[in-house]
This record gives sequence, C-alpha cells and structure tokens, in this order.
Amino acid sequence: MTGRTARGVLVALISVLWLVPTWLVVVNAFTPAEQYTGSPRWWFTSPGLFSNIRAAFDSAEVGQGLLNTLIYAAVGGVVAVLIATLAAFAVTVMPVRRPGLWFWFIFVGTVLPLQTFLSPLFTGYATTGLYDTQYGMVLIYVALTIPFAFFVNRNFMITVPKEISESAQLDGVNWLSMFLRIHLPLARNALLAAFIFQFTWIWNDLLFGITLSLSPNVRPVTATLADLSGNYGTVGPPVVLAGALVASVPTVVLFFVFQRFFVNNLRLTA
Amino acid sequence: MDVLTPADPAASRTGPRPPRPPGPDPRSERRRAAWVGAFLTPALALILLLLLVPFLVTAWRSLFDDNGVTARFVGLSNYVALFTDPDFGRSLLNTVLWVVGTLVLPVLLGLLLAVLTHSVRWGAVARTAVVIPYALSGSATALLWTFLLRTDGAVNQTLSAVGLGGWQQEWLLHWPMNTLVMIVATTWQATGASLILFLVGLQTIPSETIEAARLDGARGLQLFLRIILPQLRPMTVVVVGMSIVNSLKTFDIVWLLTQGGPGTASETLALTMYRQTFTLNRYGYGAAVSVVLTVVVIAASWLYLRRQVRQRTGEAV
Repeated sequence: MTGRTARGVLVALISVLWLVPTWLVVVNAFTPAEQYTGSPRWWFTSPGLFSNIRAAFDSAEVGQGLLNTLIYAAVGGVVAVLIATLAAFAVTVMPVRRPGLWFWFIFVGTVLPLQTFLSPLFTGYATTGLYDTQYGMVLIYVALTIPFAFFVNRNFMITVPKEISESAQLDGVNWLSMFLRIHLPLARNALLAAFIFQFTWIWNDLLFGITLSLSPNVRPVTATLADLSGNYGTVGPPVVLAGALVASVPTVVLFFVFQRFFVNNLRLTA
Repeated sequence: MDVLTPADPAASRTGPRPPRPPGPDPRSERRRAAWVGAFLTPALALILLLLLVPFLVTAWRSLFDDNGVTARFVGLSNYVALFTDPDFGRSLLNTVLWVVGTLVLPVLLGLLLAVLTHSVRWGAVARTAVVIPYALSGSATALLWTFLLRTDGAVNQTLSAVGLGGWQQEWLLHWPMNTLVMIVATTWQATGASLILFLVGLQTIPSETIEAARLDGARGLQLFLRIILPQLRPMTVVVVGMSIVNSLKTFDIVWLLTQGGPGTASETLALTMYRQTFTLNRYGYGAAVSVVLTVVVIAASWLYLRRQVRQRTGEAV
C-alpha cells in the first residue's frame, strides 16, 4: 500500500513539474506587452492575449508565416506520402531486382545529418532560382520526408498477403490499377499516420526555413518566430509567447485528435 | 523509428514477390522494368537530387579551402585543422553530453512514467501533462526556456521567492551549465515521445505473462527488471536508437537559446558546421565538420544496431 502511495506522489510531482512551464507560457502570453516588467508573471492579470496575438501578427507577419507553413506541411506531407507509397509498393509488391538496395537508397535520407545538405542546397537553390520561393520549400520538404513515409508504408505493405496481388495479376489487372484499387485503400491508416508524422515534422522545421528562405512571403512560421525572439527589445516576450502559442495550436490539435489512432496504429506495425 | 531497419534488408529480400513468369520474355521484361521505373523514379530522383547529391558535394567540398568565392584544393588539411582546433574538441564534447544526457533523461523518464502511469487511476492526467510539450513546436519550447532561464527569468525569480536566492545562476552564460540546462529543456519537450512509444510497447506485453509472473511471486522492481524490461526490448531499441541519432544532430534548441554561445561554448557539431559555413563563409571547413558528424552518426547507429541485431537474431520486427 505504501508503495502505491509513493508511486502516486511521484507521478503527481512529475506532472506538476511538467505543467509549470506550460502554465507560464499561457499566463505570460496573456500579459499585455506594455505592462510587461521584465520578470515573468504567474497569474493572469488581464485578457491581453488577443492584443499580443495581434501585435505578433502585425510586427513580424506571423500570419503570413503560418499560412506558408500550412502550405508546406499540407502539400509537402501529401506529396511525400504519395511518392513514398508508390516506391513502397514497388519494392514490396512488384517483382523488383535488389529491393534491399532500393530500400537503403531511399532510407539513407533519414540517417544523414540534415546540416550536411544545407550549403550545397543553398548554392543549388541560388543558381536554379529556387531560393526563397514556395516551390523550393515544398520541394525540399517533400524530399526530406519521403524516407520516413516510405519506411512506414513499406512496413505496412509487407503485411498485405501476397495472394491478393497474385490473384489480381492472374486477372490481368495492371500495376497501376492494382495499386489504386487494392493497396492504396488498404494502406489508408498507414498513409494517414505517415501524413501526420510528416505534417508535424515540416510544421516544426526551423533549419531549412532559415536557410532556404528570406522574404516574409516565403518564410515558415518557425523562422518568423525565431526572428521575433531575436527582437526581444522591440516586441517583448508576451508577444513572442502569444505568437508561439498560436503557431503550436495546429500540431497540438492534430496530436490530440489522432492520439488514440496513433497508439492503435503503431501497435499494429510495431 | 529509424531503428527498425536492421531487420529490413532480410525482410525485403524475403518479402512478397510474385513469381516470375516462366521463361525470359524480353518484351514483358521491358514492360516490367518500365512499370517498376514509373513507381520508383519519383522517390529515387528526389532523394538523389536533393539529399544524396548535396551530401556528396559537401564531402567533396571538404577537400577545398573554399570561402564561397574562390576554392583551392587542400586535400585533408581542413580535417587536420579541425582536429587540432580546441573549439572542435569542445563542440564534440558538447555533442557527447547531448547524447548521454538525452539517453539518461528523456528515455529513462519516459520509461519510468510509462510504467508508473500504466496502472495508476489518474495516470492519463500525468501523461497529458508530459505529452503537451511534445506537441508544442520546437521554437515555442525554445522561446519559453529563454524566458525561464534568462538572468532575470522565471527560474531565478522563483529561487529568490522561495528563499534560495543563493542558487541563482546565469544559466545560459557558463559552460557546462548552459549545455546541461538545455538538455533539461529538451527533456521537458521530448519525454512525451518516448513515453508514448513505451506505452505502446507495454500494451503489447500479454497480460498473461504479467499474471503468471505475479503468481510466481514477482513484485515491484523484480517484476519490472525480470519481466517488463525484457518484453519491452523491441520498443527500447527504437527509442534508444532514435534518441542517439537525434541527439547527435541537436541543432534547433541550442540555436534558439544561445546560438552556440557565449562564444562557442555551447556549440554542438551541427552548430559548429552551421556557423563555419553560413556565418564565417568557411565552406570547406564547415563541410569537413559535417562529414565528421555524418561519420559519427553512421558509426554510432551502426555500432548500436549491430549489437541489437545480433542479440535479436530470429526475432521478426
């Protein structure tokens, strides 16, 4: 019994420890920027959240940043998952020579440190005119998220009984319609899981945002927020926190909506 | 999840592969190749052009003294300069601190919390508290911690409020304290991820196994060490592997909190590479740093995974 109590106390302690910083983010995002004294507040004093959000949107174009990020995360995620699924279908279902070779060719993308790509990409983007364009950003996010989406889908497609594709082949169905009619619908859950992971990854990327884009029309919101926090003096922490809070809402919502789904889905593939 | 790969080559070799039609028919062979090409090419082309070619360019560039305008072939002297640079030693040391720190804190805490909250009635509340920061974006986390750790920030404020004013520190201004507190900040954010993965792992342990162990008299710590931990092994491999690879590549939080400073005191290899290349325009030197980083990441994951794979022979992922 005492063990049970001790365990309860420990868990409660850890929860409180974890909630304190979260609490500070929320409270201080509510503090009016002009009333901010330099030391953080612990309790709500006034409903200043909306004016802070407005300040963040006005002074650093957080709104445009959010829109850019939404485009990159949504379009990049969908395209990457689609391309990755095609490749996963090829190496698992189609009669490919050396599927292992192709697997590693694609998968090595997750092992290489991201910083390795930066400088050549920067040069390449500058010479091809892709630097500081939305196309360029989508393109790199697609390439970066293909390997993991490929991995998830490949692991799923291996579990599809091969009798299905064999009988479809005997019926003379071509590969494309087999993919579209059989494997794509079957892989729906794996596709969704891969999409959510990739959406979140792109949403939170900072490195490629600050390296490959410059103008507010192209910069993702993480880069905008980084600029904003560099300007501490001019806008103040409450505005920065309010902006960060708004930028985090989509991933928090996405996460909680699909939390149960995540757990069940991982369970099938783990 | 990178880490499930060791079993992969084998799995893809034995994976479903419809039997070849009897007899090589050149026309159907060509058609087959065209189909495969159509499905594989988009992924291969993007990976090749945007990831592999840039990597090879970086590796090649590390052999040059390159300031972005002129480049002169210097062989391995960038690497020689690198290994004799005291800043590089510090950067390597910080990176090692990050690897060890994120293995000890987020991974162990995630495991502990998963086991502790698994069967506590209001465990869901605790899990939510820990998972929220994981869903917050990295830049939000970094902003929050700047705010907590500044010299006039929330932590020092709290310390003086509870009469521990003597414990106040300039948290981000001194090494190794700055690296350690940033590891704590990462722990706050990343524990949710390992918690979730360990919970998933716990759910795959058959309850009969636990019951049988209980009947045999296993309790508490013994039950955990003898039964739960070995059963969690596949998931532990994933979490630990992810943690190693990700911590070697630590960039965002350091960049946002200290920019590697003061000076270069809190730099990790990823930051050193970034500063050399983009701030100092020493492209060749920066490239050498990133090649070393790549070698370290690949060596670490290979060493770790090789051992895991050998211990897990015969076990399907």
